[in-house]
Amino acid sequence: MSELVALHTQALREPVASRYLEGLGRALAASRINKSFPERRPLESTLQALRADSHEGLYESIYVDSRAGLPNLASFTRVLSDREVGLDAVGRMGSAEELAARQHEAEVFERLGRKRRYFELLRPLELAPVDQHRVLLRRHEPEQSRASFRVELTKLLSDGCYVRVVIELLQRASLWSHKLVQLDAAGEVAEGTEALRGMVYRFAAYDAETLFVRLHELEGVTVERVQRGVIGPALWAFSDGAEQHQVAEPGQDVLARAWTRQLAEPLPPGLQLVVSFASDTAAIDVRDELSNDPLSPLLSSSLTEQERARYRVLRERHAFKVFKDRKFVVSDALRPVVEGVCAAAGTKNLIYALPR
Amino acid sequence: MSDKVNLGVLERQVSYSGEGISVRSLEDSIATEREAQNGKVEELKVLRERNVEIQKALADEVGKLRKFSDYLDGTATTGGFWAGFKEMLSYIPGLRNIAISKRSIEELLKQQYQISARRVKEAAEYVDTLKKSEQDLYKEIERINGKIIEMAKNEAVAVDYVLELKQLVDAIEQEKQTCEAGSVAFRDLEAKQDKARALLAQHSANLQLYSAAEDRYASLKDNTRKLVETIRNLGQDISQYTTAASIKLDMASAQIQAIGTAADASVVMLELKRSLDVMTESMNATTQFVSDTQVFFRRNLDSLVKELETFDETTTKLLDANIAESRKIEDERVAAAVAKAQAHKRSQSGTPAPTPGAS
Repeated sequence: MSELVALHTQALREPVASRYLEGLGRALAASRINKSFPERRPLESTLQALRADSHEGLYESIYVDSRAGLPNLASFTRVLSDREVGLDAVGRMGSAEELAARQHEAEVFERLGRKRRYFELLRPLELAPVDQHRVLLRRHEPEQSRASFRVELTKLLSDGCYVRVVIELLQRASLWSHKLVQLDAAGEVAEGTEALRGMVYRFAAYDAETLFVRLHELEGVTVERVQRGVIGPALWAFSDGAEQHQVAEPGQDVLARAWTRQLAEPLPPGLQLVVSFASDTAAIDVRDELSNDPLSPLLSSSLTEQERARYRVLRERHAFKVFKDRKFVVSDALRPVVEGVCAAAGTKNLIYALPR
Repeated sequence: MSDKVNLGVLERQVSYSGEGISVRSLEDSIATEREAQNGKVEELKVLRERNVEIQKALADEVGKLRKFSDYLDGTATTGGFWAGFKEMLSYIPGLRNIAISKRSIEELLKQQYQISARRVKEAAEYVDTLKKSEQDLYKEIERINGKIIEMAKNEAVAVDYVLELKQLVDAIEQEKQTCEAGSVAFRDLEAKQDKARALLAQHSANLQLYSAAEDRYASLKDNTRKLVETIRNLGQDISQYTTAASIKLDMASAQIQAIGTAADASVVMLELKRSLDVMTESMNATTQFVSDTQVFFRRNLDSLVKELETFDETTTKLLDANIAESRKIEDERVAAAVAKAQAHKRSQSGTPAPTPGAS
């Protein structure tokens, strides 16, 4: 069993770690996620860099968030800092030929050789960021004193999932406006203010509509769209013959409960995996308010009568609609579990097979 | 000539291993070795300084992370949560003068975490650099040992030859005693003795040089060995420290995020509180207004009522006149209506209309 070693932190030792990472990489490739999710390739590169065949045994284990089932902050940071440090360190190590020639002299030369190859492998990779803010100017109308922006935040959430928040907003310049985005002198390059960064960052874990309302209430700001794409949680398990390894704290939602029940049965050989890819949009151009997410109903359906009345008033003030969806990548044996959860919720979800 | 005088010694080819030795070449060789050693010492000095720098920075940063966590879980807030919170924020570069609601604490903590992780990696990289340096020095010791052995062997060769030459010089001296001074035999012996003395001088110098070289190389080796030991110890220290720091960071990552999220939630709560405060303030102001108004009326109602009664005379007269006029109009309307009703009743019963003036 891959044990918990710290708060929500599970240590996966090799070769279990590489097997898990390889499976997760396959799931990611099968997910067909679009631009509302964190970028797939950098995340794949991070998963690849964490594997033993990349670092050639320099590390014994990786750390995984025991709730989300994804590599955690320590693991994301490991490859990022290795790449940064590696850029300088390679110059001090000596050439690959020199290290190869001396590898029988002492253990350090053999290890330096492996490390050098690992650093060289990391150098060209675009790795998944822990956090990344970007502000893109969509349209600038100086004569109208307004501009439209696209704000993007990629963030490793504290619940262990990996999210991308995309906001499209229009800002009018006025005396009382909160300046959320600043343009350079030429009016071509946009940069988010700290107030915007802070607000988007803090609200990244909340529903799209919460962030929509929060931003929309600011004077001078019109929000057109808030979109969130969340990778995770990933429920995984496999047996290496001697013992069973699995996500340690899968949570209590409907899917997690169904998953836990399923684990009581003998597992078929190979990695058993269910990875969620949830999207959540609050936008003025969404036609019908709907949740096709079996794990996340619309906010209005989970409110008490008194709260609902207040919520109605709030929604009347803001002309947007919400659409939620979730797709899955599953191993064959777990497809019935996910299908059962979707059927019970009355949703029709895309369920992709985990490639072999 | 007697058997004691072995003149073959003079003709023997004495070979020393290596490149041959002179005071100059020995000094050059030692200087080269010293230079290599000084280079390593310099390298070590830089590594040590850099290590001290990194360890200090790392200790500061890990300390900061600990302090964040202490402040946020309330164990270090002697001046209350708010004081602790503000002090905590002051550790974060660039945040001292920024309103707390602007930056996300979770984001800042994660940035700090990444800086610390990078420092640990930088320090850990020096462990391998030091190990490589240590191996280089072991190789150097091996080379010096080779030199020492070579010098010792050459010294032994020189010792043997010098002794043989000395013996030859002494034997020739004795042989000279048996010859007539100034004779051809004497002069021949003297010539051989001079040659032996010259060789003795040359190889005695070699003996001293090889002996000195051996000692100096041995001393160099001792220093190199000390250097290796220092480098090894430094490497072990860094290794221990970075391993501990690395484990600490690995274990703390989830806590960092949880703390950051909690701090951000606190900021959101503070914003909410501020908003509620504004609302409460408005409510209080309104309530105060209502209350004040009520008290004002309560206190002043009597006089207000009294004031209502104190219309001026003209107004009263006007009102009286209006009322009198209204009553007159009303009386006429009533009288007309009554007359109409009586006429109607009479027409139904066939009674003739009363003559005007009849009762």
